Amino acid sequence: MSAEAWEPKIVAFCCNWCSYGGADSAGMGRFQQPPSTRIIRVMCSGRIDPLHVFNAFLEGADAVLVTGCHIGDCHYVNGNDKTKIKYKFLESVVRELGIEKERLQLNWISASEGEKFASFIRDVTEQIKKLGPSPLKPEGVS
Amino acid sequence: MQKGEMFLGWSTKEDIRKRGGSGGLVTSVLAAALDKKLVDSVVVLKKINDFEAVPVITSDVNEVLNSAGSLHSVPSNFAKLIANKNLKVALPAKGCDVRGIIEQGKRNTIKLDNTFIIGLNCGGSMHPTVTREMLEVMYKIRPEDVHGEEIEKGKLIFETKDGKEHAITIDELEEKGYGRRESCRYCTIKIPNNADLACGNWGVTGELAGKATFVEVNSEKGAELLQNAVDAGYVQIQKPDEKGIAARARIKGAMEGLSRKWKEKVFIPMDNRLEYFRKELENCIDCGACKTVCPTCSCGDVSKCTEFHYRGDAYKMSMYHLVRFLHLADSCIGCGQCTDVCPVDIPLTRLYRRFANPVQEELKYEPGMDLRRPPYFEVKLND
Repeated sequence: MSAEAWEPKIVAFCCNWCSYGGADSAGMGRFQQPPSTRIIRVMCSGRIDPLHVFNAFLEGADAVLVTGCHIGDCHYVNGNDKTKIKYKFLESVVRELGIEKERLQLNWISASEGEKFASFIRDVTEQIKKLGPSPLKPEGVS
Repeated sequence: MQKGEMFLGWSTKEDIRKRGGSGGLVTSVLAAALDKKLVDSVVVLKKINDFEAVPVITSDVNEVLNSAGSLHSVPSNFAKLIANKNLKVALPAKGCDVRGIIEQGKRNTIKLDNTFIIGLNCGGSMHPTVTREMLEVMYKIRPEDVHGEEIEKGKLIFETKDGKEHAITIDELEEKGYGRRESCRYCTIKIPNNADLACGNWGVTGELAGKATFVEVNSEKGAELLQNAVDAGYVQIQKPDEKGIAARARIKGAMEGLSRKWKEKVFIPMDNRLEYFRKELENCIDCGACKTVCPTCSCGDVSKCTEFHYRGDAYKMSMYHLVRFLHLADSCIGCGQCTDVCPVDIPLTRLYRRFANPVQEELKYEPGMDLRRPPYFEVKLND
């Protein structure tokens, strides 16, 4: 496969109430975005265990996105506060492991921010295309 | 007796003074606590030979008195030993033991109210196997001939059965890869002020040198423990002089400075970290010993690191290690137990500290030093 044709595989964790709605409205509003993401819906971003992120990387994801409601808007009052603190640790471990910082990103996206979601995906895909495949990708996985 | 007070103390029993290090105060305090029913059990090290000992939980005062004497090459950690046992216990503990015990306390496996911790000043301990090798290679003496050992003025001195003393400076030993365990070299907890009592021979000057122990009372429980030993007639105490207190602080400062230098020497910033970690971990045989001994791990047999890890995975990093790296980022106390037990000699403590250092520095969180909740669980609504 030539370098131009290579499409990164991006795993995006979206919370049911905000960012998944954001992804929905990105489609509804016909905002263009590359077909690089695989969305995994969770009820709350606070549910996203660092283990899920590790697993995504180990199975061959080139980037992992953690998205949720804006701070203060959580459907479960403080779920995304928990995401924030978990993410801090996760980020530190992933950085220290020697994985580029673009490969793990956090963003707060509300249900109405379809364009923000689409442009976020566009930006990340662009960044990852420059970086190339993840160093944690197993042998034989494209 | 109050929190913050300092004393010089020694055992009233001649026999203990002779066998125990620095006046045998710690042994006597432990024995007194057991004798006067302040606690139900005591943890002591049962000596096998000059290089090995096993920690045992005992309720026998004589066994406690028999354990008098110090060993530098037994890097045990008592935190896991007393966890999940619901004991009313008193135990001697190095800085890292104390930190382990407090971390277990936070995770509700040890009741800290029922645990009396006698902290011991610690400049570092040695690995028994490495010590044996060092004796043969550096000192040119047979390990079986060793009768006693001590550390004085930066020199490690071994006394053989024929009465001769063999001394080499610790710096020289460590340059050759012997001497203290690596985690001890960069450990900065030299006086365990997180324990109930902090005991050691630093600050004992003049004619009492080598015959008394310097004690600092760090908590109400510590005061109770020491007062009990004095009332029971097991120990004698007196006030230390200003000179002694200053000397103790000076030694502490010098040791901590050395540790910080070692820390910079060991943790050099590097590129290609993923390759480095993969290379170090490539020999891992999945035995799980590092988790079993880890004094801050309290998940038990069924835990996230083992249950989501499958030996047949073709992953580039093992899930077990990734989860351990994450869990230890905020809780690693740097005790070095994992490196000691690893059957394939992976320098695990060094790897864990690489993840723990930046997080703990950023969050200004030192695990095991106080009762602060681990930051991972510190969720505030209005932040």
